[in-house]
Amino acid sequence: MTVVALHTQALVQPEAATYLDLLGRSLHAARLSNGFPERRPLQQSLETLAESLRLGLHGELYVDSRAGLPNLASFTRPLTDKSVARESLARMGDRAALQARAGEAELFARLAAKHAYYEKLQDRELAPVDDHRVLLRRHDPASGTAAFRIELTKLDASGVYVRLQIELTQVSSLWRRKVIDLAEDGETAAANEAFRSMVYRCADLDAEALFMRLHGAEGVSVERVQRGVIGPVLFAMPTGSGVQVIRTAEAPDDALGREWHAWSVGAGAAEHERPELLAAFATDSAALDIREERSNDPISPLLRDRLRDQEQARYRALRERYPFKVFKDRKFVATPGLKAVAHATCAAAGTKNMIYALQLA
Amino acid sequence: MSSKANLDVLSRQVAYSGEGISVKSLETDIQKERTIQDNKVEELKVLRERNVNIQSAMAEELKKLRKFSDYLNGTATNGGFWAGFKEVLSYIPGLGSMSMSQRSIEELLKAQYQISARRVKEAAEYVDTLKQSEQDLYKEIDRINVRIVEMAKNEREALNYVLELKALQEQLEGEEQAVEAGSVEQRDIQANIDKVRAKLAEHSTNVQLYGSAEERYARLKENTRKLADTIRNLAQDIQQYTTASSIKLDMASAQIQAIGRAADASTVMLEMKRSLDVMTESMNVTTQFVSDTQIFFRTNLDTFINELDTFDEKTSTVLEDNLRKSKEVEDARIQAAIDKAVKRSGAPAASPPSPSGA
Repeated sequence: MTVVALHTQALVQPEAATYLDLLGRSLHAARLSNGFPERRPLQQSLETLAESLRLGLHGELYVDSRAGLPNLASFTRPLTDKSVARESLARMGDRAALQARAGEAELFARLAAKHAYYEKLQDRELAPVDDHRVLLRRHDPASGTAAFRIELTKLDASGVYVRLQIELTQVSSLWRRKVIDLAEDGETAAANEAFRSMVYRCADLDAEALFMRLHGAEGVSVERVQRGVIGPVLFAMPTGSGVQVIRTAEAPDDALGREWHAWSVGAGAAEHERPELLAAFATDSAALDIREERSNDPISPLLRDRLRDQEQARYRALRERYPFKVFKDRKFVATPGLKAVAHATCAAAGTKNMIYALQLA
Repeated sequence: MSSKANLDVLSRQVAYSGEGISVKSLETDIQKERTIQDNKVEELKVLRERNVNIQSAMAEELKKLRKFSDYLNGTATNGGFWAGFKEVLSYIPGLGSMSMSQRSIEELLKAQYQISARRVKEAAEYVDTLKQSEQDLYKEIDRINVRIVEMAKNEREALNYVLELKALQEQLEGEEQAVEAGSVEQRDIQANIDKVRAKLAEHSTNVQLYGSAEERYARLKENTRKLADTIRNLAQDIQQYTTASSIKLDMASAQIQAIGRAADASTVMLEMKRSLDVMTESMNVTTQFVSDTQIFFRTNLDTFINELDTFDEKTSTVLEDNLRKSKEVEDARIQAAIDKAVKRSGAPAASPPSPSGA
């Protein structure tokens, strides 16, 4: 296992292409709702990375060794390429002219390919590293009440890709400092910086903790907090010779990680011939309209189930102040060899989860 | 009585390749090649300007990162750590108006990382432009080589023909001595000698023109090769520096995220400093490259342009000198013929012909 920097694994061709292909298809297989980061931009970022590796524009793919997803450097590459594409195309000239000179030197064939890459990239919507939006849901000027939805998509420092959605209502008054400012047109809004940064900083908290944290803000009534998390992703990629297998280097130390570890040293150790990938997709909601509080996430039980007896009373008192309930769920996409890991994880936790099959190409 | 000499030499067509040559056509062709070189030098000048801009931008980024590093190192200015840090934050686009307590350090560092990645990418993109120029110049060298070989062949053809004419001239002059003065035979031989002289004048000019062209194309090639070498070295330097910077940024990305989150939790400031040091190192490498290429441009490009000017002046002088000498020889020949004619007829000697009448 090659960890080349802090929490960073480097994949090269052809393993990188196989990994990106499986990861991209797992996003499709997972049937992601809008509670998750948008699938299409993420897939387009993965396709762009695969293309840039294929063309030799980049030599390695950097993957977060804990979450098994492309890391900040890899997420940034397509975005950077896109940002310089227009100017570079202007300097490169006509693609047909470059192609016509392909026989002259290897450079022109490579430039023609790069030209096509940049042209295609210009039209692509890529996955952002950070994207913060505030959307107005309802506005009642008479009562000074406005309902908003805050959406934050973030490549979290833990390596997973998160979409956080917060639905809240704000009642404005002269003496209160508003957390969200509504523009004069009554249609656009922006969170003030303190609130925006608080949401950003707290994005890795679970929905329950986040609900309580935000509900305390002045003039704000939170209705729903929803997190959609892509990752962790566990993979095993045989190298060309089949003698070595590149695996997620720092799998999480939880039920899934333990099953994965057992597979790696047991059945998985023999898997030298085909690539395997298991991706987890979690949702975590805290909302007023959830009827029953429960977790169907085999690796993230409810907070109340993790607390010791002496903490239970204080926790119950705290929760009574907030009328929301929590629901957690997780689904998996797995190649045939790793389905057993997902099944074993769910069986150990007593949860019933969707496990979608990811067929090898 | 007909001449014993082989007069077929006079009617033989000399097999010059190409479109023929004249002083004007040679100047035009050389000018075309020079224009190509000048365009490449112009491109380099534009790159030099761009290089200055990138250098300024990189210096700005470096300044920000150094400030981060200094404040985290506890070497803040008189206003204290937080006052200094607020100043640092004000450098980040879009964050200038925000107060320190409101900022997410993770978000801020990620934004700075993306700006730095873009700067390195912008610089790296010039490698392709330079390599493309280098290839264009090598293609140009191929073309010039074809011209050089063509000129050399033509010069050889001209020289061979001039030698043949010279031999014929000597033979005819020998025959002339053997015949009676003023006889029809002598007049016939003299007519042929005149034809030989006319041919000699024409093809000795060709010898000079093709020889001069060959030499000028060879010098052009030398300059084109220098330009190509300059561009190749520059491309290699840029590639080396940007690759090193890019690798360092890649290696720092996880640290930046991790430390950003840690800083958001108001902890591990020392770790943050270390992370920034890695990033600063990367920026140092990139700034070093820009600075070096700046010197490279300054020393090489200016020298190169000066050399081109010198070359142009020198070859013009050579060409003019050649033409002047050639004209003198030609005039001398014609004057000698006139002198002879005058001597024979007893008429007063005429002045040498004007250059336009030659």
